[in-house]
Amino acid sequence: MRISTANAFNTSIEALQDRQTKLVNTQEQMTTGKRVNRAGDDPAAAARAERALAREARTTANQRAVDASNNAMTLSEAAFGDAEELLQQAREQLVAAGNGGYSDADRASLAEQLSAIRKQLFAVANRSDGAGNYLFAGQAASQAPFVDASGGVQYRGAAGEAQAASGEGLPLTVDGQRSWMNARPGNGVFETRAVTSTGTAWITTGSVTDPSALTASTYNVQFSVAAGVTTYSVLKDGLPTAQTGMPFTPGQAIQVDGMAAGINGSPANGDNFELAPASASMSVFDALDRAVADLKTPLRTATQIAQSNSSNVANLDAVLSQIQGGRSQLGATLNRIDGVTGRLSGLKLAAQTERSNAESLDMTQAISEFSNQQTGYDAALKAYSMVQRLSLFNYLNP
Amino acid sequence: MSGLLSIGKTGMFAAYAALQTTGNNIANANTPGYSRQHVELKDSPGQFSGSGFFGKGVMVASVQRAYDALLTTQAVNTSSTSAADSVRLDKLTQLETVFPIGSAGIGAAAGNLLNAFVDVASNPGDASARQVALSNAQELALRFRGAGDQLNALQTGVVQDVQAAVSSVNSMAQQIGRINKEVASLKGTGQPPNNLLDERDRLVAEIGKLINVRTLAADDGSMSVFVGGGQNLVLGSVVSKLKVVGDVYDPSKVQIAIAGGSTDSMIPPESLTGGSIAGLLRFQNEDLTQAARLVGQLATAMAGAVNLQQSLGLDLGQPAARGAPILAVGGARVLTANDNSGTAAFSATVSDTTAVLASDYELTFDGANYAVTRLPDRQALAGSPFTPAALAAGVSFDGVSLQLTAGTAQAGDRFLLQPAAAAAQGMQLVLSDPKGLAAASPYTASTGANNTGTATVASVLATSPTNTPNLQADITFTSATGNYNWTLDDGTTVTSGTGTWSAGTPIALGGFEVRLDGVPRSGDTLQVLSTAAPAGNNGNALAFAKLGDALIVGNSAAQPGLNITDAYASALADVGVRVQGGKTAAGISASLAANAEAARSDKVGVNLDEEAARLIQFQQSYQAAAKILQVAQSIFQTLLQTGGG
Repeated sequence: MRISTANAFNTSIEALQDRQTKLVNTQEQMTTGKRVNRAGDDPAAAARAERALAREARTTANQRAVDASNNAMTLSEAAFGDAEELLQQAREQLVAAGNGGYSDADRASLAEQLSAIRKQLFAVANRSDGAGNYLFAGQAASQAPFVDASGGVQYRGAAGEAQAASGEGLPLTVDGQRSWMNARPGNGVFETRAVTSTGTAWITTGSVTDPSALTASTYNVQFSVAAGVTTYSVLKDGLPTAQTGMPFTPGQAIQVDGMAAGINGSPANGDNFELAPASASMSVFDALDRAVADLKTPLRTATQIAQSNSSNVANLDAVLSQIQGGRSQLGATLNRIDGVTGRLSGLKLAAQTERSNAESLDMTQAISEFSNQQTGYDAALKAYSMVQRLSLFNYLNP
Repeated sequence: MSGLLSIGKTGMFAAYAALQTTGNNIANANTPGYSRQHVELKDSPGQFSGSGFFGKGVMVASVQRAYDALLTTQAVNTSSTSAADSVRLDKLTQLETVFPIGSAGIGAAAGNLLNAFVDVASNPGDASARQVALSNAQELALRFRGAGDQLNALQTGVVQDVQAAVSSVNSMAQQIGRINKEVASLKGTGQPPNNLLDERDRLVAEIGKLINVRTLAADDGSMSVFVGGGQNLVLGSVVSKLKVVGDVYDPSKVQIAIAGGSTDSMIPPESLTGGSIAGLLRFQNEDLTQAARLVGQLATAMAGAVNLQQSLGLDLGQPAARGAPILAVGGARVLTANDNSGTAAFSATVSDTTAVLASDYELTFDGANYAVTRLPDRQALAGSPFTPAALAAGVSFDGVSLQLTAGTAQAGDRFLLQPAAAAAQGMQLVLSDPKGLAAASPYTASTGANNTGTATVASVLATSPTNTPNLQADITFTSATGNYNWTLDDGTTVTSGTGTWSAGTPIALGGFEVRLDGVPRSGDTLQVLSTAAPAGNNGNALAFAKLGDALIVGNSAAQPGLNITDAYASALADVGVRVQGGKTAAGISASLAANAEAARSDKVGVNLDEEAARLIQFQQSYQAAAKILQVAQSIFQTLLQTGGG
């Protein structure tokens, strides 16, 4: 068999170039550290890496959203803490105002202090995150949520909370309406007040004795004093009930439909007390405004003072507990954020691992392959130079 | 005496001729197309005498070249296939760069755009977060446009390469024609014109690398060359011209034809099996076209989804309005075949960007109806054929609306509908003001303060691009099983009704839908209002951020679509698989070609060791023949001395 010399040279050169190309490819893979540098290197792995990259980017973005939520929630939690402290102070003042030895002037000065606390609370409620978003503005974070209007503070935010784009339902703002405006006055279920009280009687905030017997009706306790005998009648929505003309002893608790409220002191004829269902409509500022107004009112009887003090303290407790409820909810959210952060970093790691599995180079394998190819190339070069040196012409003497 | 001298002389002549041929072989060892030659010797007829025939020496009968028709044809054909595969692979490797993987790709840019809305959602009033989103949109548009431009540049490259190849083929065909003429004229000499034959074989092999050919030898020694499905390129000394013509639909694409007297006869690309022209045309018609469809589909779907979401939200304008489109793309187009005889004209628009497929559609008119075929799978469309009346009224399929706007077609007329092929190249950022990003949901929902159930608002989104600035909807649940009453005040009229909520399904009323987490109880209320403070609302930005998971590409009745990441991943895998297939094919055909060429050149090529041996052999022959002369001379001397005594 004959070998064509020119073709043999060409074939050898092509084979050498082929080996060199492979060597360069392996070198490229080792320099980039990636097995897949182009889609054609391994289409399935490239697609897998692409998906993993998208997931990684999405997780990073989600983490930014979680961080934003964390920031807002931490700020809100601090604001709630401040509010709680201020309300505690207010409560102390209010309890002090019940001191029987205080004069109208003393109470007026307490009212001044309460007003100062109210101002601070108003500032806390309208606190922003420093970037123009109001913490308690709910779904309208761009504007101050609380405004002083005639008739009391109004909520100008939107109820509900704005969410961060974390895919985890984490809030960016706090529903200020719920925390600051929607406390249930009285004892939380019903609210007592004196409609008419000309004697010395005042009504306590009462309590629920049988939750299953509660109705949504408004009750009135009407007293009549005839010939030194005090009797009372309970009206339900203005209609008489079985308790009509019942004898009354001071301090006795009036019980009706699962509710009980004590009436202290001596009622006068025609005194009228009301037990109405509490609706979630009491704002922090209302509670303070009422207390301030009451404290500033001069020339009240001891009964009136006792009555107003009792209900004001109850109202303050109600708003305080609403704020505390909001704060503990935030605590739970912050806990959840910690959990989500951990989970997201796990997801991110998984995406990175997936991407690396898909497209990264196994260095050990690559290095061994590279040295293998190097040896092969070296051997091919040596063989080429040796074989091509052989020629019959070398042996022909001139 | 003279006999011996003459025999010695012929021997020297013959040995010299053989040495000359061997020398020529050595000299031409590296000449492309050169075939090894050898001298054919023949002994001279003997002279009769009474004692028998005496030989009269040797004569050179002919100089022949080594040749093997089968191996030569095989080498030409395999190198033809190899050339097609290797040029296609070259082009595919360039196409691959249009679909880069990782952060340089279109998929990553699309992801970045949607992820930027996460930060817009965290701070909807922040101008810098909005600017980042807008810059990412710009980057996405640039990448799509860059991909479109690259595809166009590849197409231009194909056209230039085909033109260059065709002109080489034509010039080589001319040379073959001339050689045929010379070979025929030398026929009378009875001796083979070896160098002309070598040159002709070389030209055929060279043409074969550009376009696959079949050859047929004629009795007069000429060789005819045929291309495609049997069209004459060279017939004896008559040479036809190969010609580059524009595609029947799209003049920026090319086809090739054989120029005839008055009409050109097209060479269908399917009939080309080898040569770089075949590789280029295959790349153009299959790979490049499909890549453009894929990129176009992605561009259309992405721009459509972003613009739709934008139209469902409120921007930061004064007053806030529904968002204007962010991205514009090239629209659907209908190309008319250049040989249509009718006047029919069509218009097409994309009506549902999420349903657009990576396909084109061919319309053919048979005289009565239009048949619509989906490309590249050549499936007849459901509902096809369509009557001209139906098309005049407009038909919709695969997210495209097609309408016959004017004129009538003649039987045989053809049209090509391209829903998205021009989309990527026309992609533009059309929103320049960061305030124009619609981050706010037009509606805000809140649950009642006195609710006793656990229901909270998960999301409230607009479902229609029509804005209702003074909407108020009140929903009151009337049972524990989700029954509710609703009243809807759109600012002018108040409507009311009842419905039933179930977990996981939204409550949809006039232009919005509310999704709830948790469970409402009887007596719970839910209120939806037009957003009063769009500057602080991030509802629509949340929806933007979720678009990354939405199936926005290629939805059809038969199968659900893909999200943008998966769609890009599958597009790049599609191209990757083409490259991989191309690589394998090129590797196989290159090794086949190398083997065939090795077999051919082993047969006809020059081996220098062999020639060296031959040199010695013929040198010795020459020396021996010269010795005959010497002997003859010495005999003559002997005779003279004897005679001279």
